[in-house]
Amino acid sequence: MTSAIPTMDTGHVAKCIRCEQVIYKKSWCNPSGLLALCITALIITIPAFNLPLISIHLLGITEETNLIQGAIMMIDVAPLVSFVVLLCAVIAPTLLVLSIAISSVSLALNHKAIFLPKVFKVTRLLIHWSMLEVYMVSLMVAIFKLMNYADLYIGSGFYFFVALLLLNLTIISNYSNHQYWEKYQSL
Amino acid sequence: MSKLAVAGKSGKQQGLQVCSICGNYCENKTDIKHCPTCNNDISERKNNSLQKTWALLITAIIFIIPANVYPITFLLKNNNLYPDTIMSGIISLVDSDMQGIALIVFIASIAVPILKIVALVFITLAVQLGWRFSARRQLLIFSFVDWVGRWSILDLFVISIMVAVFDKGSLLSVYPGVAATSFTVVVIATLFAANSFDTRLIWDAQRPEINTKTQDKL
Repeated sequence: MTSAIPTMDTGHVAKCIRCEQVIYKKSWCNPSGLLALCITALIITIPAFNLPLISIHLLGITEETNLIQGAIMMIDVAPLVSFVVLLCAVIAPTLLVLSIAISSVSLALNHKAIFLPKVFKVTRLLIHWSMLEVYMVSLMVAIFKLMNYADLYIGSGFYFFVALLLLNLTIISNYSNHQYWEKYQSL
Repeated sequence: MSKLAVAGKSGKQQGLQVCSICGNYCENKTDIKHCPTCNNDISERKNNSLQKTWALLITAIIFIIPANVYPITFLLKNNNLYPDTIMSGIISLVDSDMQGIALIVFIASIAVPILKIVALVFITLAVQLGWRFSARRQLLIFSFVDWVGRWSILDLFVISIMVAVFDKGSLLSVYPGVAATSFTVVVIATLFAANSFDTRLIWDAQRPEINTKTQDKL
């Protein structure tokens, strides 16, 4: 079903009359607001990925683990697994925030940059591959599994990670690819 | 955008095509190969959607066998290697009284991939052979599969955390096994399969008399 976009108030969605899927979402999609959220997320990304998420005490040794180490460690044993973990937990979320930030800067400043269509296209693809919420649940599963073996402590990176996850979800739920295209066209 | 689309009619009936990248539509003519808004390739339906979906589904079906048969992780403890398959990992979780976690892992790494493959095979078959089965129900199954699919990555993340925690020269270390790579292939293939399937084909495949009936109702 193809239809022209109806005029709607913010917070309303248009649904397909044939399959009842949301085809257009008029969300609070303010480039400068999203830009602020993206910059915050990018700053938090650094400690969230570098500080230890969890640390365990085992046989008198304390071992700390952060998000990136986990993926890099498997690179020679199982390169594909390592690549997918890196992509879904590190590369895609960071690039997604970065690309939304770039397009927001350009739209907020009313600057019609020639690379914007490419950025929009990439953003649309990256939304599917950003899986921080899945990582969060995996972390909980891993914590419960590890409690069998050793004493477990939650590291400082964990709190940054939770903050990053919340920011990421806010950004994704407010970002609308279609509205950005409309704004780009009207520039 | 010379022609304005009317709500309640499909793009095909109106002679319009929608761009998959930017969501805008334009007239469906043979000389229009690029979207006038974003200049990306445009076509009425995704090209070779069914072939791509089948190829990826067959890949997933082949790789799901080693993913479940071979060990997904090896635990090295006091110089003994203990292999763990997906199923034995879940059983050991149940044995150590963690039914909740076992259930999450079971859903994410066994139920979801199998369900996803079965559901996608069913829908693609229904489209290809023109089965009389409610289009809306097919789409419901598809969107559920699409939404739930990303959660099968969970097991891979858990492995990466376990490897990182235990692989630092202590007496205990964990290595990923062959099944980890096969499982990754299954997850990626099913994700791409769902992505390459064009849901509009479900309605195209419905018999014309059903199609007109639903249109009368609307």
